[in-house]
Amino acid sequence: MTATAIPLLELRGITKRFPGVLALDDVSLTLHAGEVHMLMGENGAGKSTLMKVLCGAYTADAGQILADGQPVRVRHAADARALGVAVIFQEYSLVPHLSIAHNIFLGREPLNRLGLIDHARMHAQARAVLARLNLDLDTQREVQGLGVAQQQMVEIAKALSQNARVLVLDEPTAALSDRETQCLFEVIGELRRQGVAMVYISHRMDEVFSLGDRVTVLRDGKYVATLRAGDATPDELVTLMVGRKVDMSYHRGERPAPGECLLEVRGVSAVNGIRDVSLKVHAGEIVGLSGLVGSGRTEVARAIFGADKLTAGEVRFAGQPLRSSPTHARQLGLGLIPESRKQQGLALMRTVCDNLLLAGLKRLFPSNLYQPGRGHAEGRRRIAQLRIATPGPRTPVQSLSGGNQQKVVIGKWLVAGTRLFIFDEPTRGIDVGAKEEIFRLIDELVRQGCAVLMISSELGEVVRVCDRAYVMKERALAGELGREQLTEANLLRLAMHHG
Amino acid sequence: MNVLAQNPGLALPHLSPEQRAVLLRLAVLGLLGLALSLAAPAFLTSGNLLNVLRQASLMFLLASGLTLVILCGGLDLSIGANVALSACLAATAIKGTGSIALGCAVGAGYGLFIGLLNGLMVTALRIPPFIATYGMLWILHGVTYWYMNGETIHGFPPEFRMLGSGYLAAVPVPVYLMLGVLLAGTVLTQYTTWGQEIYATGANTEAAALSGVPVFSRRLAVYAFSGLMAGLASLVFLARLNSAEGDMGESLTLQAIAAVLIGGTSLFGGTGTLVGTLIGALILTVVLNGMNQLGISANWQPFITGVIVILSVLSDALTRKRQGG
Amino acid sequence: MNFVAVDADKSAPGRRFGSVSGAAWLLLGLCAVFSVLAPGFLSGANLVNVLLQATILLLLALPMTLIILTEGLDLSMGAVLSLCTVVLAVVQIDSGSIVLGLTAALAVAIAFGLFNGLLIAAFDLPPFVVTLGTLGAAQGLALVAAEGRTTMGVAEGLRWFWDGSWLGLPVPLWLAAFTWAVIHVLLYHTRFGARVFALGGNREALRFGGITVKWSLLWVYVLGGVCVGLASLLLTARVNGGHPTVAIGLEFDAIAAVAVGGTAFERGKGGLTGTVLGVLAVGVMRNGLNLLSMPSSVQVAAVGAVVIIALWIDAARGKA
Repeated sequence: MTATAIPLLELRGITKRFPGVLALDDVSLTLHAGEVHMLMGENGAGKSTLMKVLCGAYTADAGQILADGQPVRVRHAADARALGVAVIFQEYSLVPHLSIAHNIFLGREPLNRLGLIDHARMHAQARAVLARLNLDLDTQREVQGLGVAQQQMVEIAKALSQNARVLVLDEPTAALSDRETQCLFEVIGELRRQGVAMVYISHRMDEVFSLGDRVTVLRDGKYVATLRAGDATPDELVTLMVGRKVDMSYHRGERPAPGECLLEVRGVSAVNGIRDVSLKVHAGEIVGLSGLVGSGRTEVARAIFGADKLTAGEVRFAGQPLRSSPTHARQLGLGLIPESRKQQGLALMRTVCDNLLLAGLKRLFPSNLYQPGRGHAEGRRRIAQLRIATPGPRTPVQSLSGGNQQKVVIGKWLVAGTRLFIFDEPTRGIDVGAKEEIFRLIDELVRQGCAVLMISSELGEVVRVCDRAYVMKERALAGELGREQLTEANLLRLAMHHG
Repeated sequence: MNVLAQNPGLALPHLSPEQRAVLLRLAVLGLLGLALSLAAPAFLTSGNLLNVLRQASLMFLLASGLTLVILCGGLDLSIGANVALSACLAATAIKGTGSIALGCAVGAGYGLFIGLLNGLMVTALRIPPFIATYGMLWILHGVTYWYMNGETIHGFPPEFRMLGSGYLAAVPVPVYLMLGVLLAGTVLTQYTTWGQEIYATGANTEAAALSGVPVFSRRLAVYAFSGLMAGLASLVFLARLNSAEGDMGESLTLQAIAAVLIGGTSLFGGTGTLVGTLIGALILTVVLNGMNQLGISANWQPFITGVIVILSVLSDALTRKRQGG
Repeated sequence: MNFVAVDADKSAPGRRFGSVSGAAWLLLGLCAVFSVLAPGFLSGANLVNVLLQATILLLLALPMTLIILTEGLDLSMGAVLSLCTVVLAVVQIDSGSIVLGLTAALAVAIAFGLFNGLLIAAFDLPPFVVTLGTLGAAQGLALVAAEGRTTMGVAEGLRWFWDGSWLGLPVPLWLAAFTWAVIHVLLYHTRFGARVFALGGNREALRFGGITVKWSLLWVYVLGGVCVGLASLLLTARVNGGHPTVAIGLEFDAIAAVAVGGTAFERGKGGLTGTVLGVLAVGVMRNGLNLLSMPSSVQVAAVGAVVIIALWIDAARGKA
């Protein structure tokens, strides 16, 4: 790989805008045959967006894509495939009850002279492709019975069989065991030898340094730097990923001293995979829960709230043990503002008022008789209190903007008399102005004696808003940071395979 | 960003979308009535209109339970067979013991029991509602046929027959039942916390669960209610027919579904009202009655009902697409 | 639709009740029970009868397997079948031509298949409601079509399709075998068949297919129509005419046979072998109960109970 070789693929000056957000700002990337190119950055840095431009899911607003030095247009997935670009997704695109071979060739099955599928040829070709990866799988087996790692192999084989020259792997080891990870690395080594270029998105430092040839860091949609893996240190990479101008229009006001311990989580493991998690939240505190995507933060929230069953440990609220039931959690005074508010937090077709009252029905109407007049009055009160921008309480909540929808979800728990709010990515998909409002709201909650447990992928947010933070790593607790130690770099270090 | 979205409701600030839907259907009903009274002179007689009311009341009783189930995001295809079995069992009880009260208890009780079974299959056994209640339909059908053994039970005490064919102050008795159920049902759905929870569960079950709504109990309850309504309807049906046989009520399920759909309740859950179902029942009954008045063979009725079901589902799906649902 | 892969060790397919081996056990069990309880069950004549009766059900259950594989359902088959027998009989008797009658019946059946398929594929409507509506429509049309017309007493040539034999085997068996062969090839040896599995198992996998996906879904229901048309030939021949309610509820037997045979209502799991066994199992159950003088109603209830038990066992085991 000489410096003067023409790159296999080059992205030049890619810019991509979405309404209200500049996802990519003049980002460039070059790929050489046979290299493993690590792509790093925080959540929201633009890695996924860049890859989607590469594989034709998005079209860039500005910039060029060059293949073997020649400019090309990638407007659809088909264009990308024609160039030899294949993406291995986290959610595999395999059909469970078809064989491995059939999955590899789905839609392109070899046919015999009668126009029927030539099974013999299909299996032979499948075996050949798997052999290129040094894999020995029975191609007749149904994909359904394979483990996650093997399914990933089938996905890779599928890409290879389409003559992929560039493979994009998005956190491929996230769901793999150590042994499976080793196998994957061997396959990657084999692919490298065959001249396939790979873009490898990862947060794991040890992978970056053991596998990577070069590392490109993105930050806030901008290109930061490209280093040779051999020349960099983990600290350097963290610094590159993290340093940014912070928008300080929100100021943390005076916070009361932490009061009673409202939430106590002791040694909790749950069916969703988290193991031995312990944490505490006091009244008047905003406690952050940080960690990489997939580290189990949402799972902790769901376990605490009773949405997923516990397998070990216990959760106590104000001293009382919590049953694994959202109804019980609500009764005691917990509330969950979920990550995807449209799917899990709101009934989109119902009105703002309906949504606001849903968790507080028992509290407002202990006799179970619903009085629309009182209900609407309460709704209007909350709309005013939270400054929800809506034509009225009877507007269907789906016509509100993201920020206002989030306020409705928060309002729902206010009506229920919640004392401990669990926020899962409270500002996802919300524009800057609304974000500040949400933070002010959270501040206000805490000033009145409530407690907040806040999950956030935006390190800057966590540092600005939280009093202290826990960090999750691979479904277990990696550590806790107090006020003084709460910096973005520390959060990232704890979250990654490093120090 | 898009706060002041185009909400058609803003044009007529006093009418919510639900109220406009009801008005629309009332208009359709009115137009149908008008057209029929012009086309078939016998339609507009008091005798016929009272008959229409009687028929529609029976249909509504059945459809009201189904409405709640659908509102909550489920489906109950077994109601027609539920009516048949409950009616036959009630008939046996009345004939056997001479007690009307016992017969009513048996009919309503079995209806409720079957409703509970449906509910358990859907909530505890997690069988998809359409296949669970469809299987139940055939089981009940089979049991009813076997139980009746091809025989008919007829001749019930006049006090009992009042329930189906009698008049009270010149109004057919079933109408009072219909009004009672409408009132109670509307209070339940619009003026209780349980009603709000049912709507929420149908609109987004996951969000409702994560808001602390006891989804399991609510869903079980609506299926039980549907069964109970089927039991109640079976008594009225029995009283009107004055006989019970194995194959009674075969067209009832499809008609009830049609009534619910015409009434504006969405199959996907979360929207709809009992008033809508009532108007839907009236519209369907008027259509079927009108066909009779116009001399159209009764054999066309299932066809028309089927077409109406398809058109309603289509319209429901297209409306949802337009709303970006 | 993402699916969580099962550990390689837990993949033993025989665990499900409603799997191929489950159906085989059920069939054996039923045969054993009835050979003891019902006199005459094991006689040659009776077993041939079972096979013969099963052919019509098989013709419905085969396309139903594909439909269910795509996570759909066709509740209208029984009603459409009844309608087709009426159409076939009426046209044949009126015109004297068997070919004309059969063409008419096929046309009607395919029209309904197209209609169902279009609504389901193009508009994304829930299959059970669409086909429930079509059921009503077909039922009504059947009643209307039979009104005031002679529908009994079809030509000898037509009856041959049920009574006759070819090369020593009854014609219905040939027809059923032929249909099975064609559908088997379609499902397991064509790209169309792969798409059927994908439609149920993971539509994402066909992401780049676009229009083709909707077409495949449409053809699945049209295929059902074709088979219903063929079945009407056998049924009319058997009953010596058409009748508007002759096949009501047969779709339920078909669904039961498919479910018992191991095809699931979600995720695209299942196949034809199971369906064949399931059809035989349902046939044996009905035949056995018949010999025990149990009325049709009890038979239906029994079939219904078996389906629910099968689904329950699957839910209890599979989701554990």
